[in-house]
Amino acid sequence: MRRIIINTLNKLGHTEVVEAANGREGLDRLAAGPVDVIITDWNMPEMSGIEFIRSFRGNDKLPQVPVLMVTTNAAKDDIVEALRAGVTNYVVKPFTPDTMREKIESVLAG
Amino acid sequence: MQAIGQEQTVAFLVDSTCEVFEKMVLRKLTQGIPIEGDALRPRSNVVATVSFAGAESGIVAFYSTRDAACEIAGALLGMDPAEVNGDMPDAIGEVSNMIAGALRTKMTDAGTPCAISIPTVTVGSDFYTKYVSDVRRVLCPFKMGDQEIFVELIRQKQ
Repeated sequence: MRRIIINTLNKLGHTEVVEAANGREGLDRLAAGPVDVIITDWNMPEMSGIEFIRSFRGNDKLPQVPVLMVTTNAAKDDIVEALRAGVTNYVVKPFTPDTMREKIESVLAG
Repeated sequence: MQAIGQEQTVAFLVDSTCEVFEKMVLRKLTQGIPIEGDALRPRSNVVATVSFAGAESGIVAFYSTRDAACEIAGALLGMDPAEVNGDMPDAIGEVSNMIAGALRTKMTDAGTPCAISIPTVTVGSDFYTKYVSDVRRVLCPFKMGDQEIFVELIRQKQ
């Protein structure tokens, strides 16, 4: 899914993309330098998307930026859990490039 | 909870497949007529399966040739299909995951909640798949340009 999202971001003109294979690597990348938006999947190896967001939001040393969660799971309870954990907004798979663009613009607009 | 009829579930699966291909693969599919039963499965080099369980149990299976799978992976990854190689199984796994996920959402909204498994992708040339339980199978054919792909609903009989 990571490569698919990167392809979509490239199509939208976002060519400066920092990749991480899992949540732990994501936290390391964030410690190395700020980003404008974080896009994370729900299911990931080693550290789930929810666990990653809770760790990220709970770490004052990391610059707090908007988080978009990508998921196949449109169940209300799970979306509520994600929003409570600190997700700014979510994108349900499958999504069009236009939907991804709208979601990114909405979280950047605050 | 309520049971959804076979016809409705197959319609959900067909809609989910078309939705995934239109939104993510950016390919319009032409639907064929679903085929019920245990007839011989299509000649395929790539088979991806995702299980679902909850109010109902079963499997969603995706079948394609290697060429079709590479075309799909190339479209998802922004690559020439000829250069896809090792990325193809992951891409097809993600396609099957999204099809099953969209089906799960439709089934849940219709009163039949279930969860889905991670996908399994098999690539090869001399194999067949067999489901041990007593199941009901419906194979849904699609045309993607000049390629054929198939999605199957395998439901455990209640």
